[in-house]
Amino acid sequence: MKIRAIALSTFGTLVRNKLIVLFCAIFLVLLLFVTTPLSNMRHNAVGEEIVLQFVSFLMFIVSGFGSLLAAWSAAEAVAGEMKSGTILAVMARPVRRWEFLLGKYLGVQLLMLVYVAFMFGMSYVLAAIGGQSIHAAPWVLIVYPILRYAIYSALAMLLVTVMHPVLAFVGVLITSVLALLVMPGAPSGFMTDQIWMPLYAVLPSMSLLSESQFLGMTQASLQPIPWTNHLTALVYGLDYALVIFLLAVWSFRRRALTRD
Amino acid sequence: MPSLIEFQNVTKVFQDRFTALSGVSFEVEAGEVCAFLGPNGAGKTTSISILMGFLFPDSGAVQVLGFTPGDIRAKEKIGFLPENFAFYKHLTAPKLLRLHLALSGRTAVDDGWIGELLARVKLSGYEDLRISKYSRGMVQRLGIAQALLADPELLILDEPTSGLDPAGRKDVLDLLASLKAAGKTVFVSSHILPEVEQICDRVVVIDRGRLVQTGRLQDLLGSGDKVEIMVDQLSEENGYEAVRRGAVVSRSERGVRMVIDSSQRRAMEEFLWSTGADILSLKQLRGSLEDLFLKLVEERH
Repeated sequence: MKIRAIALSTFGTLVRNKLIVLFCAIFLVLLLFVTTPLSNMRHNAVGEEIVLQFVSFLMFIVSGFGSLLAAWSAAEAVAGEMKSGTILAVMARPVRRWEFLLGKYLGVQLLMLVYVAFMFGMSYVLAAIGGQSIHAAPWVLIVYPILRYAIYSALAMLLVTVMHPVLAFVGVLITSVLALLVMPGAPSGFMTDQIWMPLYAVLPSMSLLSESQFLGMTQASLQPIPWTNHLTALVYGLDYALVIFLLAVWSFRRRALTRD
Repeated sequence: MPSLIEFQNVTKVFQDRFTALSGVSFEVEAGEVCAFLGPNGAGKTTSISILMGFLFPDSGAVQVLGFTPGDIRAKEKIGFLPENFAFYKHLTAPKLLRLHLALSGRTAVDDGWIGELLARVKLSGYEDLRISKYSRGMVQRLGIAQALLADPELLILDEPTSGLDPAGRKDVLDLLASLKAAGKTVFVSSHILPEVEQICDRVVVIDRGRLVQTGRLQDLLGSGDKVEIMVDQLSEENGYEAVRRGAVVSRSERGVRMVIDSSQRRAMEEFLWSTGADILSLKQLRGSLEDLFLKLVEERH
């Protein structure tokens, strides 16, 4: 009950956050601009492969923006309460610190669920504008991004318990870029093995948590992947997010709660 | 009487540099209204934050309602008003109070109780107005309503009259008096000493992070070592005699006022009767909380 109340209140506050609304609006406008070249592709009857590669690229950008949104929302969800002082009234209630943090985390996941639903719909709409259709299993396009966002928001929540939200956001940004760079096959030639190996071991595996590994975009359909591969990837993602979140709870348990 | 608040030798140092509290000890018993006083920066809000479990002391022991601060068993029985109360501005007052009920673990929402509370803090009629449109005083009243929401045993109020106009301050004091009458324990920090003096039983004074004075108000102010006697009239000659007997005499349209030591009261009464003067009033004089506070703080500066 308490956690649900905090989660819903967090969601309500985030969707009213001016910065988040502004960024989402700008992003939406930019997306609307790309409908013109897609529409032209349809009229010029370019091949299915080109259209779907273009859509795939757009969705990569949309997905990346989602990671930033997850990180910023999680950092803001905690830091915003500290800045405004509203945390004092909330924590004066019989609420445990982990319950507060879990409520905040679930509120952010609710926001990201809405975002993924938007992303999911957008990928179909963009493909349709280009005169093509996506035949992939919907759950892959929903669950994998949610897992990535769960990890990034947990990481932001961990960092914001010890630092300024902007620094926490930058920390997540750096982490996500490094995670992409240490992916097998990524351009990481500038890294020595002594650097690459520990980073690869510690950072979230983007190769494992990317839905694109299962999608043959040229056919826009699921490749025949054994269900154990999905299970491994999902358990890995959930486990990673859980560990980071538990670290955030541990760090938050002795955090001074004051108006920043 | 059991102590609901126990603060034992508490020290809090920020960033190894600034000592906010140094060996502060005090207790508040059940059913008392305790005024927590100190100049700005004395350590009042730090102490209250420790009581609520928002901050952790570097040394010393704190118990609230028999539990360590922050324990939800204690928080279930505490109503808290932070200094400069703030809450989600997009909500309306009833929605905010419903949210707080949910945070208190109450599944059933009693809209009647919410309406009653809003009426008690004079916010009836503003149910549909968002908190962002509230004045500073209205937000403070709403903060008081949320503090009373779960029918707490102990109220911890940090500057409850802050931002309120004189009428609002009087309402808060009346509210505190009614809580006292209902047997609630109230721990209140305030700068409005004459008003707090009317309702408090105990006083804790801190300055620069150190305890300056604590005790029952009656003990600190004394029962009064001076007596004021008003008589209808007194001749010049008898006036001189009263002065010779140790009285301070002043005359006004209302009569003649004399202030003497309590020990001289009976002798003075007999002298006045012998002169044929009518005693209009006789009252014990005692120092004020404000005088005591200023004296204590000035001694340290």
